[in-house]
Amino acid sequence: MSPLSQAIVSGMISGTIYVLLATGLIIAFQTTRIVNLAHGETYSIAGLVTAAVAHAGLPVALAITVGIASAVVYSVAIERALLRPRANWPVSSLILISLAAAFLSRGVLLVVFGPDAASFKRIFAGAPFRVAGGIIPQQGFWLVIIGLAAALVTAQLLTRTRIGKQLRATAENADAAQLLGVNVDAARMISFALAGLLGGLSAVLLVPLISVDYQAGLGMTLRGFIAASLAGMSPFGAIFGGLALGLAEALVTTYFGALAQDPIIFIVLIAVALWQSRHVQFGGSVRA
Amino acid sequence: MKRLTVFLGLLLLADPAFAVDRWNVGIIAPTSGALSTVGTRQLSVVQWWAQDINAKGGIRGRQINLIHCNDEASPEKSVTCVRDLIGRGVVLLLNASITGPILAAMPLLQNGPVMVTPSPNVVPPANSYVFQTSPSDLELTKAIAAYAQANGVNHIAMVASTDASGEVGVTSAAAVFPKEGIVYKLARIDLRASDASIQLANVVSDGASLIYSNYSGGGAATVVKSYSNFGFEHPLLVSYANISDSFLRLVKDDMPKRLLAVGLKAAAPELVTDAADRAHLDYFTNSYLAWKNEPVDHLSILGLTMADFATAVLEHVDDPANPAAVRKYVESNPIASVATLHFSAQSHVGLSASDVVVLEYNKGHWEKAGPPK
Repeated sequence: MSPLSQAIVSGMISGTIYVLLATGLIIAFQTTRIVNLAHGETYSIAGLVTAAVAHAGLPVALAITVGIASAVVYSVAIERALLRPRANWPVSSLILISLAAAFLSRGVLLVVFGPDAASFKRIFAGAPFRVAGGIIPQQGFWLVIIGLAAALVTAQLLTRTRIGKQLRATAENADAAQLLGVNVDAARMISFALAGLLGGLSAVLLVPLISVDYQAGLGMTLRGFIAASLAGMSPFGAIFGGLALGLAEALVTTYFGALAQDPIIFIVLIAVALWQSRHVQFGGSVRA
Repeated sequence: MKRLTVFLGLLLLADPAFAVDRWNVGIIAPTSGALSTVGTRQLSVVQWWAQDINAKGGIRGRQINLIHCNDEASPEKSVTCVRDLIGRGVVLLLNASITGPILAAMPLLQNGPVMVTPSPNVVPPANSYVFQTSPSDLELTKAIAAYAQANGVNHIAMVASTDASGEVGVTSAAAVFPKEGIVYKLARIDLRASDASIQLANVVSDGASLIYSNYSGGGAATVVKSYSNFGFEHPLLVSYANISDSFLRLVKDDMPKRLLAVGLKAAAPELVTDAADRAHLDYFTNSYLAWKNEPVDHLSILGLTMADFATAVLEHVDDPANPAAVRKYVESNPIASVATLHFSAQSHVGLSASDVVVLEYNKGHWEKAGPPK
């Protein structure tokens, strides 16, 4: 058994989840300029709903569909009920509202699903693959393939298609976009629906390998946000940011121990943030 | 002014906490936040205990008035809970929280009231007013070492979390395993980890024949699920807090070939040989199931040890609000529970390695574990 190979396998799995979460955060940010701190709740909701439906004896495929649908509905509801009516509020206030929504969601999930962690059967069962001294479960293998494919398609959609350009235009200047015929409300709703879809997808792919409870959401938001920050809030960059974060965590754990993981990762995050903001002066004005 | 005084007096009497014909017992239990499963289950048992006692007429003619405070497993909130409950006049404090919050609460109890907790990671100083109704983590580790030695295992792989509980486990392993001639290899796992395969790959690669995961809750499930990916033949031994139905539900689709756990003998009722202890356990198991419609698990039994401690104190100490009197009674009298709790002026830990056994999950119930190979 090779610790290096296992670290790479493990890093790819967790990194792909960070890619999906980061992409969800970025797509909402690209259309609203808001970092949606309730985004990780889509992960908790999809995971808990899927587990509950599966435990009720319904087929896993149906449970997954219901789980992802609930994440999409939640994400759209955040945009429709909380953010859209306050579209003229300062961005910082809207971010705080999304944080409040995250805490409220935790409370509701606790009441509905209880404090216990939950999980459900793997979608891709069978003997794990053995590669270069590392072991990757089939669920983990398909998680990487499906997750990266979904992130790539989303990034393509945002950057290369007409609808993607319309979505981004709403964030740059909503009034101008509306004058040019873009339905801003619909664009924002589509972006939050996509974000919810990606959050739900990350849950149904990962939860069978671990577990989920009512309070998993904020942790997932944080990890997605770190990956998105590393990527400079770019959809294609999220793929590299998420994978880099996952691999870095795994390699640090392997060679320096789990106790070193947070200090090293956050030092790297601070360094990257400083590097990315090297052209920014007080008040956000660009250096001469 | 006179009317106001009478009104305030009536208000105070209306508050159950100030009613003179009740025993005010405080319970700190995290019912939300990290590890709320631990608090929720133990709180249910203590609530069962209170209604059971009250239905039988109370203790020495007084009903139990249970006052719950949710510390959310947070040290800061734990301190607030203790201050609040002391302010509300509790005669005893039951603490069903986890290591960090319990340790944070202890300095506030230098003048009482007496606090009791079943957390194995808390070893109260013998001059304190705090008592612990489990074996300590050190004793649990000694029980694992005894099982290993009895079965010719001299090499253990260990995975421990990076929180306070994991730290206690690491300290116990360092104190016990080398002294008993057992080689162990340790890997730490972050509480937020989404995979434990790195840790398992690191510790199992040089031939351990038993894997010990000192981790609880959802994190322990991550270890079990990663373990199943490797298809190991070694038994996986999980910690004290994982002998629960909720944990088994979590890992049922990825069950290791052999799942072991270190726990109280009462978790496998047939191992309780004392007739009175067994009768008490059976009564609790049936009565709690009927009341809560929830089967008893190891966490429930830990909650029961706290409740039994409280019963003994309220029955036998003339003034339970006097912490010195309670301490004197508890240090000099054994307390009946699912196993007899023995405290002394030298030790405020009630159970020892002899009350612990390595269990194995087999066909829907826990039983004494056979040899690992």
